[in-house]
Amino acid sequence: MNAPAPGVPGPDLPGIDEMVDGTGLLRTHWRSVLGTFTALGRAGMAERERRLDRAFVDEGITSVLPGSAGRPWRCDLVPLPLPAAEFAALEAGLAQRARLLAALLADIYGPQTVAAEGLLPPALVFANPGFLRPCRFAVQTPLLHSYAADLIRGPDGGWLVLADRTAATVGAGYARENRRLLSRVLPEAFRPVQMRQLKPFFDIWQDALRRLDPRGRPNPTVALLSPGTTSPQWFEDMFLARELSCALVEGGDLTVRGGTVFLKTLKGLQQVDVLLRRLDGRMIDPLELEAGSPLGVTGLMDAVRQGSVRMANDPGSGLAEAPALSAFLPALCRRLLGEELALPGVPTVWLGDEAARAEVLRPPSGWRVMPAMDSRVAPVSPPALTPAARAELMARIDARPWEWAASRLVSPSVAPCLESQSLAPRPMVMRLFLVHDGRNWRAMPGGLARVKDEAEWLTGRAPPVGISKDVWVLAEEGSDLVGPPAPPVPALRLRRTAGDLPSRVADNLFWLGRYVERLDRAARLGRASLQRLVRTATLLPHELMELEVLAACLIEARLIPSEGVVVTGGAVTGLGEALLRSVQENGKVTRTFADVARLTENVRDRLTGEMYATFTATLRAARGDAAAAGRSLDGLTHGMVAINRFATAVAGVAAENMVRGGGWLFLDLGRRLERAWAVAGEVAIALDQPSARIEAGLRLVLELCDSAITYRTRYFDVLQPAPVLDLVLADQGNPRGLGFQLAQMHTLLDELGGEGGAREMLAGTAAGLLAEAEIIVEAVLAAPNQAVAAAALPPRLKALAAGVAALSDHITRRYFALLPAAQTLGWSAEAAPALRGAA
Amino acid sequence: MRYRVHHLTTYAYAEPVDLASHMLHLTPRPQPGQTVLSASLRATPQPSRVSGADDHFGNHATWMFLDLPHQRFEVAVEAVVEVAFPPPPPPASTPPWEQVAAGLRSGAAGSWQAAEFSFDSPLAPADRAAGLYARHSFPPGRPVLEGLLDLNARIRRDFSFRTDVTTVVTPVARVLAQRAGVCQDFTHVMVAGLRALGLSARYVSGYLRTRPPPGQEARRGADQSHAWVGAWLGPAHGWVDLDPTNNLVVRDEHVVLAWGRDYGDISPVRGVILGGGEHSVTVAVDLEPARAA
Repeated sequence: MNAPAPGVPGPDLPGIDEMVDGTGLLRTHWRSVLGTFTALGRAGMAERERRLDRAFVDEGITSVLPGSAGRPWRCDLVPLPLPAAEFAALEAGLAQRARLLAALLADIYGPQTVAAEGLLPPALVFANPGFLRPCRFAVQTPLLHSYAADLIRGPDGGWLVLADRTAATVGAGYARENRRLLSRVLPEAFRPVQMRQLKPFFDIWQDALRRLDPRGRPNPTVALLSPGTTSPQWFEDMFLARELSCALVEGGDLTVRGGTVFLKTLKGLQQVDVLLRRLDGRMIDPLELEAGSPLGVTGLMDAVRQGSVRMANDPGSGLAEAPALSAFLPALCRRLLGEELALPGVPTVWLGDEAARAEVLRPPSGWRVMPAMDSRVAPVSPPALTPAARAELMARIDARPWEWAASRLVSPSVAPCLESQSLAPRPMVMRLFLVHDGRNWRAMPGGLARVKDEAEWLTGRAPPVGISKDVWVLAEEGSDLVGPPAPPVPALRLRRTAGDLPSRVADNLFWLGRYVERLDRAARLGRASLQRLVRTATLLPHELMELEVLAACLIEARLIPSEGVVVTGGAVTGLGEALLRSVQENGKVTRTFADVARLTENVRDRLTGEMYATFTATLRAARGDAAAAGRSLDGLTHGMVAINRFATAVAGVAAENMVRGGGWLFLDLGRRLERAWAVAGEVAIALDQPSARIEAGLRLVLELCDSAITYRTRYFDVLQPAPVLDLVLADQGNPRGLGFQLAQMHTLLDELGGEGGAREMLAGTAAGLLAEAEIIVEAVLAAPNQAVAAAALPPRLKALAAGVAALSDHITRRYFALLPAAQTLGWSAEAAPALRGAA
Repeated sequence: MRYRVHHLTTYAYAEPVDLASHMLHLTPRPQPGQTVLSASLRATPQPSRVSGADDHFGNHATWMFLDLPHQRFEVAVEAVVEVAFPPPPPPASTPPWEQVAAGLRSGAAGSWQAAEFSFDSPLAPADRAAGLYARHSFPPGRPVLEGLLDLNARIRRDFSFRTDVTTVVTPVARVLAQRAGVCQDFTHVMVAGLRALGLSARYVSGYLRTRPPPGQEARRGADQSHAWVGAWLGPAHGWVDLDPTNNLVVRDEHVVLAWGRDYGDISPVRGVILGGGEHSVTVAVDLEPARAA
């Protein structure tokens, strides 16, 4: 075990061991658990640990622990078993706490009579940043729908509540993933143990959410309101939305019109009845709460007040997380529930009380000090601070004592954790989750334990990485988690489309399609250039001309800057360097990689696990290979091949796994559109030659469109403009040619939902572009001199490319409904931040 | 005294506004000493939805939602209000200010709700400099109302009324440094200073009669929305309203719209609009004595 920081007094008593009792004997409920690990041996455990770590990486599950954002989530191989009776007592105690906190919130957000009796200092309400005044008198009972608590087992063996979680109860999703992956990697550990399953808890949760419908209908629209992909808890939001069968939405996806909340979908506005709030309550409405919050929805509080939407938990519920509240709960429990508090908290005092302050600040201190009303700040032990930091803390407490609280330094119990191939006892904190099913509070029969570092526990300094544990609730004979019967759901109307796709998701898929294709084009142009550049012999005239065309295409696509590449007297300089720079930091290809990664994350909830894994694994490989090129052109070629492989993998996975509906449609549309635009532009550049040299241009066109083999099969070695252009521009059977893209776009746009006028206009535009491509080819075929006719085509082809780009703009405007920027009036004198799509 | 209130707020936008949501605190609140005989709120264009409710402070708030494009938004308030606020207690009879502060801090009976206004709020934090300024009026043991009246007079004397040096979000420290501002700034300075001493003070918004009673000098801030301070005298005496802009104790020249911790809680018109581009706002206020019916 790590030694405590020097000068820090340890807790009064050492933590007890979860696994062995005071006499060194294995506790009964560990027997069936531990056998598996003994049998595995050191090497076996290490190997499984590696596999478990890799499983989390493959699933893209990242950590939410402080200081470890973006790192993979980790779960210890050894679970934490809880006997059935012990869990039952915890469930009852936590249910009481949940009832108590719900009653307290109802009083504070309602009449405030109980609070004002003197059972609670006014500071804990009125100076509490979690007290949201717009929520007063807007109470929907109960104010709590889900609740979680962090617990430690004290030296006497009893459990103590370390923190109450009443805002967004994060972690249940991680617990479920821990269980899922652990059972996959270590199946034999589960065989000898009878334990309760987690799934029924999520079923109860889902039914409970449906019951919250303000209109009491059986199948309301339930949505999880998430802070979005940039939030560290994004993974869990996505996972929960899937597990609870509800829509996953961000503030920008919602709009409040006339007091009703709607989801903006491709088909139009769809009413939302229940919101599972995972966004900080202060952020939900820029009109009444945090002004300028881009994550919220204007008018949401008004909708809550009207009762047209039900939000769980209530936006103001975070108030009850104030650490200092713990000191007042025993008295409040007697007053509000008429009961003794069953499950005590870690002894806590509020420093607004003079006597408590004197006791806490008198050295040596067995207390940890923390902000009274911000549970996110870790407690610190004053003796562990430097003299200067301690003096500063004391001065701050002195100035505003009501803003501080302290809790007794209690040693948590230790549980065995796998470390360097052996089991080491480590302190741990356990989080349990409860949900209100409409009648009772139900606990998830399992949980999430978090392994703490000794020094962290004492000083409040969090280590950069943390590891979690799966909590197993051992089953008693015949026990099972059963909720009240699920509300009956009437038979669904059959649907074959996905018209309820949120506009934002469609937007992201469309651009994902475009960017993947853009990477693919970049790699094709890059490879064609590199092939010629790596040759040591002097370039032939036609090769020189080809390089010139390729450089022009790369510049046109903005993959390399327009200056720096020089073609003179039989040599091309600067092109290789420009290509190498494009894959370095801030290079265009690197930035496109980042765009693709961001968009993939944004649409992750629309992809199956397999698709997501394929997307990210091949993208990582391509990005790695490209970045590894360094100064080597050969290495760069290797990277470009990896990029093409990535694009092919995305196309293959999408074609084979995505249901043909809204989502796939926009991904494919983006891809077709980008390719159509690129082909038209590149052919225009390649044909921009004196007619005598048109043949070389045609050859390059075939190469770029991957159509040389098809051409040879059709026409052998005779190269003529009309057949080449037919193959790459008009032939609707060539998936690399322009005709194919335009025909496919026409079909896709025709399949899109929405009112007839706009759809027909867009599909008609695609058809018009296709007709133009065919006319161009026919004109060349009919021309007396095909070479001259072909050489005259570039302006028409450029116009064609511009037509494709204009079509993209029309699609964006019609389907993605970009809203003008929102601004706040009458509040901020400064320019309000842009809130695109917030209303 | 009976008054007729006219309050017209007009927003003009350079470009059409597609959607607008507004929250208004424009209806005078009934309370002891103030009877609201009639009050109407009219918006142009007609909102597609209007709702109202009492807020946390007991003020009446109105929400309006507009979903037709408009380039002008107008809210007109007409109200008839009867005011006769009770005279304050004799200052010497009020408790020492330290005793009032201690009661607030402990949440003693009768002081619990009032304690809300002793803590920081975004626009009126318990600012150190404001506290030092206020402390001159509060030597040890001084009856709280004596100190308040002294502070009210000092602010009127020390600060110059200027409409061009502050905005709605100018911090208290700046106002204090430049010793100039408008009624809202003086109110925030006084509220912040009292909070720094551990006393409770709230921000009151409302109107001041446009023309002073015959024979008296013109008031400052009379043709605009006005603001002043509500100060806590302890559970025995409750609240007293003081107007530091004019060094007045509020009796019968003021009409109360709403109160909160600071301007942010009760800004008369707050909104989020989509579109609109540049905007300008004009406010016209008139408070005239009305004949009793």
